[in-house]
Amino acid sequence: MPNDAPPPIHSAKDALDALAGILGGALPGSVAAADDPVAALLSDPDVASAVTGRLRGSGSGAGNDSLCRWLYDAFRSNVPELQLAVLRFVPTLAGVYLCRAVSRKPLAGFEAVLLALYAHAAAQRGAGEAETVSLPNLANPSPYHDAKVPPKAKPAELDVAVLTPPLEPHGTVRATRRARIVGAVLQLYHGKLAHMPLSSKMDFCEFCVAWAGTHSKLDGADKQRLPPAPDAGGGAEKWRRVPLPWELFQPALQIVAHCLLGPTGSDELKAQAARAAECLYWRATETVDARAVLATRSLVRLSQMVEEPIPEPSFSGAIENMAELEAMRANILNSKN
Amino acid sequence: MASDPDDGGEMPPAEATSPAEAVSDPSAEAEAEVTAPEDEPVKASGGSVVPAAGAESSHPEGLSLNYEEARALLGRLEFQKGNVEVALRVFDGIDLQAAIQQFQPSLSDKTPSKKGRTKSELPSSVSQNNPASLVLEAIYLKSLSLQKLGKSTEAANQCKSVLDSVESIFQNGTPDIEQKLQETVNKSVELLPEAWKHAGSYQEALASYRRALLSPWNLDDECRTRIQKRYASFLLYSNIDWSPPSMAQQVEGCFVPKNNVEEALLLLMIVLRNWYQGKTHWDPSVMEHLTYALSLCGEPLVLAKQLEEVLPGIYPRTERWATLALCYYVAGQKDIALNFLRKSLNKLENPNDILALLLAAKICSKDHHISSEGVEYARRVIALAESSDSHLKSVGLHFLGTCLGNKSKVVSSDYQRSLLQTETLKSLTESISLNRYNADLIFDMGVEYAEQRNMNAALRCAKEFIEATGGSVSKGWRLLALVLSAQQRFLEAEVATDAALDETAKLDQGSLLRVKAKLKVAQSSPMEAVEAYRALLALVQAQKNSSASCKNAIEKAKALKSYSAATLHAEGYMHQARDQTKDALAAYVNAFSTELEHVPSKVAIGAMLSKQGPRFLPAARCFLSDALRVEPTNRMAWLYLGKVHRSDGRISDAADCFQAAVMLEESDPVESFSSLS
Repeated sequence: MPNDAPPPIHSAKDALDALAGILGGALPGSVAAADDPVAALLSDPDVASAVTGRLRGSGSGAGNDSLCRWLYDAFRSNVPELQLAVLRFVPTLAGVYLCRAVSRKPLAGFEAVLLALYAHAAAQRGAGEAETVSLPNLANPSPYHDAKVPPKAKPAELDVAVLTPPLEPHGTVRATRRARIVGAVLQLYHGKLAHMPLSSKMDFCEFCVAWAGTHSKLDGADKQRLPPAPDAGGGAEKWRRVPLPWELFQPALQIVAHCLLGPTGSDELKAQAARAAECLYWRATETVDARAVLATRSLVRLSQMVEEPIPEPSFSGAIENMAELEAMRANILNSKN
Repeated sequence: MASDPDDGGEMPPAEATSPAEAVSDPSAEAEAEVTAPEDEPVKASGGSVVPAAGAESSHPEGLSLNYEEARALLGRLEFQKGNVEVALRVFDGIDLQAAIQQFQPSLSDKTPSKKGRTKSELPSSVSQNNPASLVLEAIYLKSLSLQKLGKSTEAANQCKSVLDSVESIFQNGTPDIEQKLQETVNKSVELLPEAWKHAGSYQEALASYRRALLSPWNLDDECRTRIQKRYASFLLYSNIDWSPPSMAQQVEGCFVPKNNVEEALLLLMIVLRNWYQGKTHWDPSVMEHLTYALSLCGEPLVLAKQLEEVLPGIYPRTERWATLALCYYVAGQKDIALNFLRKSLNKLENPNDILALLLAAKICSKDHHISSEGVEYARRVIALAESSDSHLKSVGLHFLGTCLGNKSKVVSSDYQRSLLQTETLKSLTESISLNRYNADLIFDMGVEYAEQRNMNAALRCAKEFIEATGGSVSKGWRLLALVLSAQQRFLEAEVATDAALDETAKLDQGSLLRVKAKLKVAQSSPMEAVEAYRALLALVQAQKNSSASCKNAIEKAKALKSYSAATLHAEGYMHQARDQTKDALAAYVNAFSTELEHVPSKVAIGAMLSKQGPRFLPAARCFLSDALRVEPTNRMAWLYLGKVHRSDGRISDAADCFQAAVMLEESDPVESFSSLS
């Protein structure tokens, strides 16, 4: 770490000042003048693109990367809005990190931020317990349905499924645990998806496509040959495919499912998410990973199904007083003005 | 917005002109006067138009077509014509609160007719155009119009007011109310959560979904099912801050969901059950949501059960079998999965289902005995994917290569074996040419090259695998170390192992430490080997201490089981060391009855028998040849076979065997390559 350590961040204002310093220049007026600057930070597109541009640039993520330092300090400040603002950049952070980590470049800056997020996720879960789901059994009554329970019987036993495994503490990122750590960070991001801006989710879907390393049929036929050769000299960095064990695949799929089927209200996001889901499906078929195949195939099918709309109201029966109504109509309509 | 005093004041003069055309009904006039002293909208009824139809007058209070009703009807007309904005303007003038207060006595007077809730029995005393239901319908249409115009928050508020009003009128739940009103209630209940969702108020949406399903609105089955489906989808995909539903009374044994996934699963299962009971129509999306959720939770058997319960005729049976095969495969029941696939891939059923073929090939590739079947499935995939899909063709070729490789190990003739080995490499190479980035494929090629003793190629593959996975998969490191050790490059192998240990988390280091120890032994550095073994033992101890959950125990038991042949072999070795020949023999026989292809025990038996005397030489030769059939690169087997030949007097055969043993010794890895898979 450099000798001139940046001042620690204790509040939103500190964070914004520090960020302005790192990005070189004051933050855009809309952010600085807003009532709640941090919330504005979360959604402001200019700041977002500046930060993500820095993250994607070459040479980012090294041990002395000031932007990584800012992210780390901002998250550790325990100001909830600041933490949300940091989480907003998780897709880009995780995306660039995973793609570069495969080439085993030194990425201490990224790793520090990811470990901080991981520690928070583990602490939130409480002593690294697994997240479980009890599978409902319709023999037991529930608020939504009645079931005939014999008076003296015990309720039927419930199976418990494990949604995510327990998290052990990690001080450094070892290659074999990389997927587990990034997966936990993605779970954390997934928990706060309702607060994340659209651009963050779009970034994620884009990286998902890159991670899968396969081509979507929606892109057009004849694209099934290999991805272009890496390092075509100059130009944008090509994000390469990464190993996708289940601990990484599962949270990624959950986030894609939200983008695809959740109430995001954006058709562009849905299209991007549909592409991501399909790429993940082809990736799953590469090794015929049955669990992944089932989940991704369902998502792809759901993306093509249209939800049943609310039936339009039916107007039955003639209205008896048509003449009078017509007479009153002009009055009513005029009187409104 | 709803009440507009100026409006009310303006109305009467305009209306005073119109009654001239109307036929007035004396009783209605009287009623109008009675209601006159009430608040403002009733002022308009001073000159109200009386409908010609007698249906209205049969109503006890004979409310005539007043200001509110007129607006309601007019707005409805405009809405029907599609003039949403005009309709909205008309609706804006209606004051719901006042209307409700006015109409409340008329509605709550009705006695619930029967216990059964049959919509067809309309209480005939109330006409279709009951003013209360008119007004409520108007407000509903208003909110629908707002929703169509994109003003979701206002729409939601209006809708909510409808429901609040109905709730306040019918304090004890809605009894048999007339059809029109019930319809309005249904539609409002359905619209409200959607409006909140579009407005982005997810907490309100959650509350309104629950209100829709938990309060007694007397919804019909289809409506309820639609709401349940939308709610389940909302729970699964929206990532809201979830809170449990509040329960009026706690029923013993009641399942109260503890998170959003549980609630969603519950609702989806209820919808499915409603479908079985014929209450609703089939919607394939329900099963897809369930598949997604249960796959994420890793509960394939529950999914399988739900799939099996779906009535015949919904899914084509081969599709059902193929999906069931996937579920059972995830659950680890490969034989059942394969049986389903065999049924499905029969030439009379659906022999061209590529995914099913691939899964079948994959299952077969894990078991040497059915590798021929796997070869056939893989070939079919390749034939089908030939022109269309190089991605799937590559996967097919991969499985073909694996199955051929397995087959080559069980086939008895050398000629066939070498043929199969060539085929294996050919398939794998072609697969890679179609998909260069499939890491598992690169690994399998590396192992195949290594087993065929093409060390340079194996080395290349191992390095490429490590690059492709960023060093995150430990079997890649092990392959590299073993290949280097087979090339007698022990120092480099050690460097590789150390690099791997750096990249590996503590708990995963076991196999690497074992390789390191063996490397040390091969380099004749026993003290350092002891260090490595000590580290390994500490690790095993730590793992024993830390594993507390029962799932771990099951995994340990499984691990123990697979080592039982090895432990029996070790036991036999001990007995042999103590010259307890009979016990040793017994242990070895147990070992290879546990695992039919357990080569070390066969070699050990062969070795022991060869020392017993000339009578046992043929038996010894039999065991050793059998061992060599499975593992032709086992140099100890060649050594003992050479000794057998020499004892029998076949000197040239013995010389050949010894030579093979020497050559193999020069290219033997410290640990067998088969330990990698």
